Amino acid sequence: MMKQKKSSLFGGVTLAALVTIIVMPLLLPSATLATEILIFAMAALACNLLLGYTGLLSFGQGIFFGGGAYVASICMIHWQFGLLEALLIAMLTGALLAGLVGALSIRRKGIYFVMLTLSFSQMAYFIAYSLSDWTGGDNGLLDIPRPPLMLLGFEVSDLVSSEAFYAFVGVLFMLIFVFARRVIHSPFGTTLVAIRENENRASAVGFSTNHFKLLAFVISGGITGIAGALYAMLLNFAPLSNIELQMSESILIMTIIGGTGSLFGSILGAGSIVLLGDILSSVWPRWMILLGIALIGVVLFMPSGLWGGVGSVADRWREYRRRKASAAKSSEVN
Amino acid sequence: MSLYLFQILNGVGLGMIYFLISVGLTIIFGLLNFVNFAHGAFYLIGSYLCFTIVSLTGNFWLALAIAPLIVAALAFLTERTLIKRAYHLPHTYHILITLGIALIIQELTISIWGPIGKSVSVPDALQGVFQMGHFYYPKYRLFVIIFAAVIAFALWLLLERTRFGALVRAGSEDTETVSLLGTHIHKLFSITFALGVGLAGLAGVLAAPIRGVHPFVGVEVLGIAFVVVVIGGMGSFTGALVGGLIVGLVQSLMTTIWPQGSSLMIYGAMAFVILLRPYGLFGRG
Amino acid sequence: MNDYILETENLGLRYGAFAALGSVDLKIKRGSIHTVIGPNGAGKTTLFHCLTGERKPSSGSIQFAGHDVTHQAPHKRVAVGMSRSFQITSLFQNLSVRENLRLAAQGRDGLAALAFWYSENHRRQHSDKADEVIERIKLGAVADTYAGELSHGQQRVLEVGMALCSSPQMLLLDEPTSGMGVDDIPVMTQLISELGQDHTVMLIEHNMKLVMSISDRITVMHQGNILIEGEPEVVSGDERVKKAYLGESGS
Repeated sequence: MMKQKKSSLFGGVTLAALVTIIVMPLLLPSATLATEILIFAMAALACNLLLGYTGLLSFGQGIFFGGGAYVASICMIHWQFGLLEALLIAMLTGALLAGLVGALSIRRKGIYFVMLTLSFSQMAYFIAYSLSDWTGGDNGLLDIPRPPLMLLGFEVSDLVSSEAFYAFVGVLFMLIFVFARRVIHSPFGTTLVAIRENENRASAVGFSTNHFKLLAFVISGGITGIAGALYAMLLNFAPLSNIELQMSESILIMTIIGGTGSLFGSILGAGSIVLLGDILSSVWPRWMILLGIALIGVVLFMPSGLWGGVGSVADRWREYRRRKASAAKSSEVN
Repeated sequence: MSLYLFQILNGVGLGMIYFLISVGLTIIFGLLNFVNFAHGAFYLIGSYLCFTIVSLTGNFWLALAIAPLIVAALAFLTERTLIKRAYHLPHTYHILITLGIALIIQELTISIWGPIGKSVSVPDALQGVFQMGHFYYPKYRLFVIIFAAVIAFALWLLLERTRFGALVRAGSEDTETVSLLGTHIHKLFSITFALGVGLAGLAGVLAAPIRGVHPFVGVEVLGIAFVVVVIGGMGSFTGALVGGLIVGLVQSLMTTIWPQGSSLMIYGAMAFVILLRPYGLFGRG
Repeated sequence: MNDYILETENLGLRYGAFAALGSVDLKIKRGSIHTVIGPNGAGKTTLFHCLTGERKPSSGSIQFAGHDVTHQAPHKRVAVGMSRSFQITSLFQNLSVRENLRLAAQGRDGLAALAFWYSENHRRQHSDKADEVIERIKLGAVADTYAGELSHGQQRVLEVGMALCSSPQMLLLDEPTSGMGVDDIPVMTQLISELGQDHTVMLIEHNMKLVMSISDRITVMHQGNILIEGEPEVVSGDERVKKAYLGESGS
């Protein structure tokens, strides 16, 4: 008998996210690693809007990630775009690409939809590959600047140190996190859940479901585009792998392992996989085997992911305490 | 003129390989009602087994005979141990499980054979070119076309003229009917999965001497197979054949016009079909 | 204002040579409870699907309250005041009864629900509507229960409630008692006859006791066409109707 929580934007989970962001750089060996986690958490969060809330399994997230990275980088390199302008153009690029891919893919449902997103992902890869004059092709796009943060004409920070950049990404992440919470609890967001639960019924009560799916795509693409641009600024480099299918898969796997349908789960998913990669990739280059195993394991045995796992462990603990308490009580009676 | 004929034949050869991959995907989908995202990865195993057998024994024919069987056996085991646990789950779960399998296979392949591509030499008997008037064509490529056509015909006979085929077709219409017939539905599922995946393995073997083997080709092959079934329609033998040939021809003819864009054009063709006919060329709304 | 809220003219649907629906002229009076009955395969469900927009008719037209809805998509018919329930219960299983109804009320907004910048609690009208419908269908005790956890009878009631949330002029109910136990049927009968007081109701139904007790008018379908239409007493006494039903059980 669950009562739907009327959660405020800044309560509970938002606070947990904020604490995580503050504590993370203190626990991790480098701010760069922490920044990478946040960037992928952003991408996973955007993926979660589609998968967890709308029920759309998209293999196209890498398109928006890579697209945002390329366009922001090209604008910074060739036209000296500033930091915020570059992020804005990355967001627009991601949203536009998502609009295109979404509009074509949602013409089909179910498995065909998934196959279409995967095929478009391959298409985007080949586009990036053949436009090597702009994207650097196989070599990637080099010497991407990280412009200083300017607000109202004042330089707030040059963002040169990795800590400063982390702080900037952290603030941006929180803004996006709060925005995503707003989206989820809006009329739009609740309609997305209706579509996930039963698209047929959603359409029968009057929702033009394709419009909703498309907007979900556009929002998801916009956020993913920003994440891509930040990643390029972090590395000063945009490899072709940004837009490969493998990127889409990684983002999906982070989302699923963290927990679909929970925004905080996306932080957990991105955090655990980026960390695992960081620790293992130098000792065991084929560590991705573990990802495959983890993915199968989560799908078969823990469908609500790490976040759900935390929840059910907490439930069991409470259950255990309760039983113990009642056992103690009954033994007292005896 | 002969350049175009050359490219058309190349396209047909490529198309037949794409057909073998996609028809496997389609048969599995028809009966088991799920899409095997590890299909490209099994193709990869086929290719690498071909490489290993040829480099150990020097005998391509042995590879052609054994490698697809090994791939089918691996698929059989995978179905028995993992995939059958997911039949009762929504289709998202099937995708994710087979995606996990694909990831594991790809990484294992790199562990065993290394990240760098390998090449497989054409068997001695098929070295050289076939000559007709002024037209020359590599013998091996001609062999691929003929051999794949024979396999396609045999497969058609299997599906249309045998009890097994009848069951698979009936199951594609309605899985419940088949289980009512008292058939061991699980056995049928395993065999069908092994057959479909075995065809991908066979395609991997046939393609190896032409395109070489490379650990990341599995992903590419999966993408192409999806384009084929999106164009041709899922669950249809004819759709896979026509879709495969279209994709093969588009890719091959484009290489003469715009080599870098040849792969891109396949996906362009798919987007075009989706715009005009969202349900594919042979699909019904 | 026209006496009839819904009128079809020559409505037909053919699959190749087979006519699932021949040529149907159905008129439904504003404010009435109008039931469509007929043996299996008579074309009731096809007719229903054409009215809800699930199937596109191959000939004829559908006029609803001054709108030509013949080729309108299902979700657009909600905006002009049509609302439907499903024969096979189709709910948002993992959401509470209240949220099911609130979403159904939100559906009437159409594209206005694309708003992603304010909270769902910001505008009360949908929650209020949900509460009003909960009261009306008497599911107050289970308002916070997941729809999937309700008993079958309660789910059928909620199924009808979902259709109410868009404040429709006309309700289209597809076998509302489908799969219901004998004990639950009076509840549904009562609910539909109450709804008939302030809505036009068109329903397909097999339960003859319910049909005869609440219908103002009955249309009997046979082989894709209307066999006869009239008040319950007229229809129940008609020889052709008996023959049509006998023909079904005889074959």
